[in-house]
Amino acid sequence: MDYKYIEQLLERYWECQTTLEEEAILRNFFRQEDVPASFLPYRQLFIEEDEIAREHLSKDFTDRMLRLVGEEAPIQVCKARRLTVVRRLRPFYRAAGLIAILLTIGNAAHQSFTHEDAEATMPIAENATADSLQQITIGQPEQQSASLTAQPLDTLDAFAR
Amino acid sequence: MENVSFRTTVLPLSDKLFRLALRITMNRAEAEDVVQDTLLKVWEHRSEWEQIDNLEAFAIATCRNRAIDLVKRTGRNTKSLEEIENSQPSTINSQASLEAREQLSLVRRLMDGLPELQRTIMLLRDIEGKTYQEIAELLGISETQVKVYLHRARTKIKEWITNI
Repeated sequence: MDYKYIEQLLERYWECQTTLEEEAILRNFFRQEDVPASFLPYRQLFIEEDEIAREHLSKDFTDRMLRLVGEEAPIQVCKARRLTVVRRLRPFYRAAGLIAILLTIGNAAHQSFTHEDAEATMPIAENATADSLQQITIGQPEQQSASLTAQPLDTLDAFAR
Repeated sequence: MENVSFRTTVLPLSDKLFRLALRITMNRAEAEDVVQDTLLKVWEHRSEWEQIDNLEAFAIATCRNRAIDLVKRTGRNTKSLEEIENSQPSTINSQASLEAREQLSLVRRLMDGLPELQRTIMLLRDIEGKTYQEIAELLGISETQVKVYLHRARTKIKEWITNI
């Protein structure tokens, strides 16, 4: 910090030659706790002026003035909001939804890890299924065979078992 | 002028007026009364606001006049310079914090001991941040006179502080 500058400003302050901006610099300087000893006596003046600047009227005064001129202070009303059961349980729904999403993601991740095993066993399973279906088709009457092929794949698998 | 609101136009001046009234009356309750009277007077004259160049200047001038009248009416006067100087603590307290607090209140007493016009100019400049021109307009004196009074006030304060 250039104390020479502060010294010059202070001299100009006493002589009423400082601008408002320069006086603000002085004020900020004297607000510091660690002011050099040579400036300490003057610090009290600036601190005291800061104290005076903080003096203000109470809220009671403001309210009284507003009443006197007929501009009442607005009464702050807290409106009670009515909550429906659905709205009240909304956080639980959200939590449940979040858990469901996490489980789905976890399941998908688990399946992707076990995907290689599934790929290896797929051709064997497909061959076994085809053989089984062929045997069923040969062993059954034509009508039954047609109805069987119309069944969903799950039913056919179950039947093959 | 029918749609003006007291809350937004006049009420924001109240703290500024209070500090001014307090520096003149030196009494919080009296300063509040002065501000209340001033605000009501300014509000009652709202139909004439269009003819007033500066509402804040009008309010400050009204407040100052009322505060000075009150002080005169009650027969009180601010402490003279001699009284202030004689009231300085003669013994030096060993505790630094107590000393600082005493010195702080002493600076306030020194400021309060200035003649009313010097005190008001010092308040308007150093606390309210008004320019010399604004102060001159507010008090109805020349800019040079403002500087002269302020210089006297600051010089006295400087002398007092350096002699403590």
